[in-house]
Amino acid sequence: MAATSQTTQDVYFAPPETRVPRWVRWFASFTRRQPIAAASLAVLVLICAMAVAAPLLAKQPPDAQNLAERLAGPSWDHPLGGDELGRDVWSRLLYGARISLGAGLGATAIGVAAGVVLGLVSGYAGGFVDMTIQRIMDAIMALPPLILLMVLASTLDQNFRNVIIAISIFIAPGTARVVRGSVLTLKEMTFVEAARAIGASPGRIIFAHILPNTFAPVIVLTSITVGSVIIIEAALGYLGLSVRIPAATWGNMLNTGAAKWEQDPLLALAPGIAIIITVFAINLLGDGLRDVLDPRLRGKT
Amino acid sequence: MRDFVIRRTLAAFVVLVLVSMFVFGMMHLLPGDALVVKLGETGRIPPSQMAELRAKMGIDDPLVVQYINWVRDILDGSMGDSLIFTGRSVSSRIGNALPVTIELGILGMASALIIGLPLGVISAVKQDSPLDYLIRVVSLFGLSIPQFWLGIIIIVYGTRYLGYAPPSKWIPFEDDPIGNLKMMWIPALVLGFGFAASIMRITRSTVLEALHEDYARTARAKGLAERAVVYRHVVRNALIPVVTFVGNQAAFVFSGALLVELLFLLPGMGRLTLQAIQNRDYPQVQGSALVAAAIVVFLNLLVDISYGWIDPRVRYS
Repeated sequence: MAATSQTTQDVYFAPPETRVPRWVRWFASFTRRQPIAAASLAVLVLICAMAVAAPLLAKQPPDAQNLAERLAGPSWDHPLGGDELGRDVWSRLLYGARISLGAGLGATAIGVAAGVVLGLVSGYAGGFVDMTIQRIMDAIMALPPLILLMVLASTLDQNFRNVIIAISIFIAPGTARVVRGSVLTLKEMTFVEAARAIGASPGRIIFAHILPNTFAPVIVLTSITVGSVIIIEAALGYLGLSVRIPAATWGNMLNTGAAKWEQDPLLALAPGIAIIITVFAINLLGDGLRDVLDPRLRGKT
Repeated sequence: MRDFVIRRTLAAFVVLVLVSMFVFGMMHLLPGDALVVKLGETGRIPPSQMAELRAKMGIDDPLVVQYINWVRDILDGSMGDSLIFTGRSVSSRIGNALPVTIELGILGMASALIIGLPLGVISAVKQDSPLDYLIRVVSLFGLSIPQFWLGIIIIVYGTRYLGYAPPSKWIPFEDDPIGNLKMMWIPALVLGFGFAASIMRITRSTVLEALHEDYARTARAKGLAERAVVYRHVVRNALIPVVTFVGNQAAFVFSGALLVELLFLLPGMGRLTLQAIQNRDYPQVQGSALVAAAIVVFLNLLVDISYGWIDPRVRYS
């Protein structure tokens, strides 16, 4: 009797809840279970919003030079002071976020997409195709990322598009390997066999049946990759191999910051702290997503 | 076992051939003429010598011929001649720089293990204690700090407040081991910092798993002290994934070492390659990339083969 009344109550309260879209409910439960990860996501959204709204938040253009403000300390008009050419550091930090985050998201998106396709094909086709793709991925992975990027920087023009392409090349193999691994298990499963039995085409099997089941590990991997791409892009910028100056990036700001630290230590600190906050938030989010999406990996790296 | 070694070695060789094609391909994304123009723009080569250089680089040959010539240079050990440093072969310059990078890489990984392993074990044994949370937060934070930024901060503030200065002159290990280690320990720690965080996280999760294995329960049941269970049974078994991880990080350690040595002005592969790129010294860039990849391929091969030695349960098939 008690059980029945419980059910009636649930049914009674159910209708308003079902009108809430599924992703909103998923998100609400995610926030409840992983409050730290949800807070990190909020921080990341805020950082992205600041990058998008850079023209509104910056008090002057990032490349406006004002000799009076050279290496100036913080002031009301220039919250983080001026750099070696008297450009506003706060404004450069905001505009730099556009390149750092853009490269992080863009290169990860392209690299992961390519990796997913290669992994699906490689795992599903097997045989010679699999072996060829895997050896090529091995070859890319054998090159230390920085060397690969240095070589590409020496032949490609250093613009935003090319930096993204270059970084995405070294992301793809890792994703391909993870996806291939899950495809190898998935393609032996009954639901795939069933799909094949009713005459589904290989394309349909791959994209409608196998692909959705590889999402969990890919999402986890992707979230962590964005962080390392931001660090790699900053390293390239520091070496002068990312998007060319005078465009502001967090990496090339570190470069000038490291050169002029004696006059103004804030120059090296500000972009570094921006990178750390962003990447730390991404890593916390990645940890939370992994716990929710892939219970087997809970507590692992 | 022997078959496995032979097969893996052959696969590694195939990968190396692919790497060489890949590197060659990247270097020829631009047509040869554009390369020569870029080289001319650096002003390192007088215009009068450009024609001679064109001939020497074989730019007008078909790509296949250029590739075969390069492979021949690799096989005879010179890897071609530097375009800028006349009379120096690519491989002789790599020979000078490589030991610095390798030493830094080894010291960096060693310091990462010394820091990461014990922290990971402590964190797992004291699971969910405040100490565990502290170690986990610090390690996640460690993963978020770019190594090169940490290096910059250490150089900047170390110079200012602690009287530290990056070494001005390279002391080879064989000349003066102590002097060499004195200049290397800070760069090694900077390099090891991020890897220590990863090692800590992996150690923690594998130790946690091993703590609940049957053999750990058996050891406890027969009355062993928890200490002995952890050190004699759990940690030894939990180390296997850590070894795999360390081996597979070779490419990233190499990358990290390049950056760190640039920061600390050490004359290794990072400086050599970056300089070569700035000078558009293409044969040198090509050679550096190939040697770096060869080292990574070799280390991965070693890790694969050593599985059976580390973990006798592994069967080579």
